[in-house]
Amino acid sequence: MAALDKTPSGAARADNTEPILSVRDLRTQFFTSDGVVRAVDGVSFDLHRSETLCIVGESGCGKSVTALSILGLIPREIGRVVGGSIRFDGMELTKLDEGEMRRIRGNRISMIFQEPMSSLNPVYTVGFQIAETLRIHQGLSNKAAAERAIEMLALVRIADARRRAGEYPHQLSGGMRQRVMIAIALACNPQVLIADEPTTALDVTIQAQILELMVELKERLGTAIVLITHDLGVVAEVAERVIVMYAGRTAEEATVSELLDNPQHPYTRGLIGSIPRRSTPGARKTTRTRLQEIRGIVPSLREEIPGCAFAPRCSIATERCTSQRPPLETHGPRHSAACWETAPSSALTATSPRS
Amino acid sequence: MTTYILRRLLATIPVMAVVALFVFFLLHLTPGDPAAVIAGDDASPAEVDGIRRKLGLDRPIWEQFGLYVWNLLRGDLGTSIFSNLPVMTLVKQRLEPSLVLAVATLTVAVVLAIPMGVLAAWKARSAIDRVVMGFSVLGFAVPVFLVGYLLIYVFAIQLRWLPVQGYQPLANGIGGTLRSITLPALALGMTYMALIARITRASMLEVLSEDYIRTARAKGVATSSVLLRHALKNAAVPIVTVIGIGFALLISGVVITETVFNIPGLGRLTVDAILKRDYPIIQGLIILFAASKVLVNLLIDISYTLFDPRIRQ
Ligand SMILES: Nc1ncnc2c1ncn2[C@@H]1O[C@H](COP(=O)(O)OP(=O)(O)OP(=O)(O)O)[C@@H](O)[C@H]1O
Ligand code: SF4
Ligand SMILES: [Mg+2]
Repeated sequence: MAALDKTPSGAARADNTEPILSVRDLRTQFFTSDGVVRAVDGVSFDLHRSETLCIVGESGCGKSVTALSILGLIPREIGRVVGGSIRFDGMELTKLDEGEMRRIRGNRISMIFQEPMSSLNPVYTVGFQIAETLRIHQGLSNKAAAERAIEMLALVRIADARRRAGEYPHQLSGGMRQRVMIAIALACNPQVLIADEPTTALDVTIQAQILELMVELKERLGTAIVLITHDLGVVAEVAERVIVMYAGRTAEEATVSELLDNPQHPYTRGLIGSIPRRSTPGARKTTRTRLQEIRGIVPSLREEIPGCAFAPRCSIATERCTSQRPPLETHGPRHSAACWETAPSSALTATSPRS
Repeated sequence: MTTYILRRLLATIPVMAVVALFVFFLLHLTPGDPAAVIAGDDASPAEVDGIRRKLGLDRPIWEQFGLYVWNLLRGDLGTSIFSNLPVMTLVKQRLEPSLVLAVATLTVAVVLAIPMGVLAAWKARSAIDRVVMGFSVLGFAVPVFLVGYLLIYVFAIQLRWLPVQGYQPLANGIGGTLRSITLPALALGMTYMALIARITRASMLEVLSEDYIRTARAKGVATSSVLLRHALKNAAVPIVTVIGIGFALLISGVVITETVFNIPGLGRLTVDAILKRDYPIIQGLIILFAASKVLVNLLIDISYTLFDPRIRQ
């Protein structure tokens, strides 16, 4: 069929298979008074159009720094993206200047944060804060932007949107504030929405509502989502693909079913040890499991790690693990992991029983 | 909002009452016969008696206080002992230069210090920041009269750009007034500028690390707008507070500055009155200064509501 298809729509479709966002070997460092912190140390992933990608990993493994690096929001005085590439819709973001980045932020790539209580400016009305994005990126007049802001509030299902638009953040609950953040983020209909633990600070019941809202709006607007989370229950519910991060690196990347059914990296296996299996999808919907605690401590990011960062905690580690860094190797269609011992090329250990 | 302002307004009444009480008893707390104190060491008993009767000091004290408060409420601050003119008349004659000096100082300080503080916070730990902070340490350390004489030497004597001293009233044209007030305002404004720049920097630094600043940047807001619209408005409450506190410093500063630059304002009136022990003038000025501070504080309190919606309830 592809051979016969010479219409422009065919070309467009071929284009659509290109990832909208492609991160390769991203490295971000902070320069502190007592040394260099390698917060992100070689992360790679692809995000396809209208896809939901989850990033999971323990606290401090560089998830937020990855997100901020993509938007160019690492404060220049303390840190910098030192290597790798971030390609977005044909552009290399690491090469853009501040003005060009500004036209992308909030417009084509948006971000929402973990802290709904402090992420909105306390001295401006929420309507103003939504309208501001529209004025900046779409050049709407004050009046048109204000009207559109009210529509956005209604879209994120805030009742009585017209009145709420005139209220200040302190007059709104945490859940409502996060809805406002979503409204701000989606106001310009971005291609990518990065949500950094958007529900962690909220009550459990509110968490589910916010997540549902995000998924629904994503389908409606066709936005691709990078969802950063600690919650494997959330991953199971909303993710299409997952990347597992460890100590600033990608440990494993796979579709959600592959990852949950057939984890390759020992770290991933440790994380999902207690997650209910696919055979009981109903159970997955209701169980919200935090990441499993794994024995040992996360390595300090201040020293260079020559080998596998997980080696000190890994039960199947070998000599090679501590001296050579395992590359991200393909384990099947859209499944890769960075581990010497479970890599397909490692003939002896590839068939070793899962722990 | 209205109740907030009303509450603030009511709160000024007890403050002013305490000030009036203090000022009234000022005369009576000094050891000895107040009339003799005012008349001075060389006065004859007849002169002392005259003063006593003139000030009503021979009447019962509660009656004196009642009369004092009643007169205050009518805007009568008493009569000068030496010139025999109403204190209010003397004040009105001297008010313009002082008011112009105070307003000019305030304007110069605020207009220069706030951008300095914002810049220093934005470029924290850079060379610009160090220059601004160094300047603000200097502004604190060097006394007003020294800065004043230095400015006179450079800009009036050497460069001859501006008059050495004196004051040109507004009635003779605003150009002359501005020329005569520039150096005094700069001299007096130095401390003030240092104070405001410092607090602006500190307050901005705190605000710039807030999550909502990150949100603004993630929205694609331009840097100038992040600084001025998103950060400065949040940083405003401490800055405005310090401008109010600075106003208290301003009053004592005005006295010194008027002396250095030979400006016939309220500061000079105060110094002369103290030297001559013209108590009604001293009392009247204290009341006026206190009232102006209370008024400024009230304005500051009300201005908070412009910056922070959370204060409006
Ligand atoms: N401003 C900074 N200065 C120095 N180090 C930093 C800074 N911000 C982050 N880091 C370091 O970078 C590493 C990654 O931090 P990051 O916030 O990305 O973790 P995270 O995966 O988002 O964790 P969490 O799940 O707790 O949000 C951490 O070790 C942290 O100490
Ligand atoms: S590379 Fe070695 S240490 Fe790292 S996860 Fe695989 S087996 Fe464990
Ligand atoms: Mg984080």
